[in-house]
Amino acid sequence: MIAVGALLHVKQLSRSPFEIAIALFVPVVQATLAVYLFRAGGEPDRLLEAAVGAGLMGVWSTVLFGSGGAIQNQRWQGTLEMIMLAPRSPALVLLPVTLATGITGTYAMLATLAWGRLLYGIPLDFAHPVAFPVAVAGCIAGLGMFGLLLASGFVLLRHANALANMLEYPIWLVSGMLVPVTALPGWTGPVAAVLPTTWGARAVHEAASGGPVWPALAVCLAISLACLAAGWALMTYVERRARVTATLALA
Amino acid sequence: MGALLRLVGVGGVIAYRALFNWTTPSIFVGTLLVGPLFQLFFFAYLGREFGVADDRFYIVGNAVLTAALACVYGGTMAVANERRFGTLGHVLLSPRSRTAIFLGRVLPYAGNGLLIAASTLTVAALLLGLRIPATALPGLLLALATAALACGFFGLTLGALGLRFRDVFLISNVAVALLLLFTGVNVPADSLPAGIRAVGAVLPITHAADAARRLAGGAPLGDVLPAIGLELAVGVGYAVLAAGLLTVFEAESRRRASLDTL
Repeated sequence: MIAVGALLHVKQLSRSPFEIAIALFVPVVQATLAVYLFRAGGEPDRLLEAAVGAGLMGVWSTVLFGSGGAIQNQRWQGTLEMIMLAPRSPALVLLPVTLATGITGTYAMLATLAWGRLLYGIPLDFAHPVAFPVAVAGCIAGLGMFGLLLASGFVLLRHANALANMLEYPIWLVSGMLVPVTALPGWTGPVAAVLPTTWGARAVHEAASGGPVWPALAVCLAISLACLAAGWALMTYVERRARVTATLALA
Repeated sequence: MGALLRLVGVGGVIAYRALFNWTTPSIFVGTLLVGPLFQLFFFAYLGREFGVADDRFYIVGNAVLTAALACVYGGTMAVANERRFGTLGHVLLSPRSRTAIFLGRVLPYAGNGLLIAASTLTVAALLLGLRIPATALPGLLLALATAALACGFFGLTLGALGLRFRDVFLISNVAVALLLLFTGVNVPADSLPAGIRAVGAVLPITHAADAARRLAGGAPLGDVLPAIGLELAVGVGYAVLAAGLLTVFEAESRRRASLDTL
């Protein structure tokens, strides 16, 4: 059910010119910016890191706005009641939606790598060529699970849009997607340590540039599973509360 | 003349207030005051990591760029939301100049952009320890105001495309992303290819960011007036372009009966 649901939602998201254009174009601009910045900083040997980092940023943006607005989008499409009426747990029905946002985020990663290779001649010499796709897939799965927590948490907040708009850059920054975590103030360390994005980004970067991939990926998935459990419980609570107060269809 | 100024001023303010039909103070603060601050921190730390330029380059440049967020989207929404909410026909049926109506709407957004840029610069300078000479403040205010106005007219130009194309917010999202790259706010101009620099020269923000950086570095206002003048010229250029596009697309949408087609 999760696989079929995720495939359905990936197809649906992939038919939106807006989603596709944003998922492809904005990360490419970010990657271009990063490439010029790395070159200007005398780090031409780290261009692959720039392309991968910009791709990760695109993945997070897709998950943040896609998963954060997952329930609201179903509400706008008039499909929320049907989802809640299904004989399966609402969390199980919504998990494919959030996983799909992560999977469509891979468009950003593919776009930045292809852009870097074709336009700037960045060699795609991954330090761990086998581990790299596994790390990306694990990171995507982890972010999809984290997305369920975002989806159920945001629906409780009246001004979730404002929160989503605020969360894009801080997570890019604190998770070390482009700026190394070591360059940030020390107090950001504990914040970064509990975010699955930090460990997912570390696993992908280490697969690309060298380093122990599996420990970081394992921590990413462990935190993501905890987020999934929390999101599941929250979603169940939200669904019950919405049914009791008859506010399911209300914005 | 008084009636025209009333149309431009009061009409713009009423249209701006109508935005709060859907936005709220918390969304305003979160999206327009806190969000841009994080954007500035991201690039400031990125700049520190690579040592491409000093804090002043990133803090002042990105503070000027934050004006674009409100002004470009605002200018776009000034036209696009009329269509979205089904009120475009009423506006175009008005016997008054639509050019004046829409150009007037840019002014509150420009004020908004100025507020955002000034607050972002102040908070970021305090938190990241950038000292700006007090004598630079009037010039900085002028540079930020010019940038905000130019961005507003740039946004209105994009909004005018909303009379012809369906998904104008796709265009504005892409435009805002391109401003990050083309304006040289985050990469020094001499590290960018000539083509990008040439495009950046006809975009808002580029000249104002240059002027603001030099002012923050202690340059007298007289030295940066040419750069501010260039920014103003860019803004005026977009205002003329927006007015032309609005006129052409309005006539076209009437002819093709596609005014409210979404």
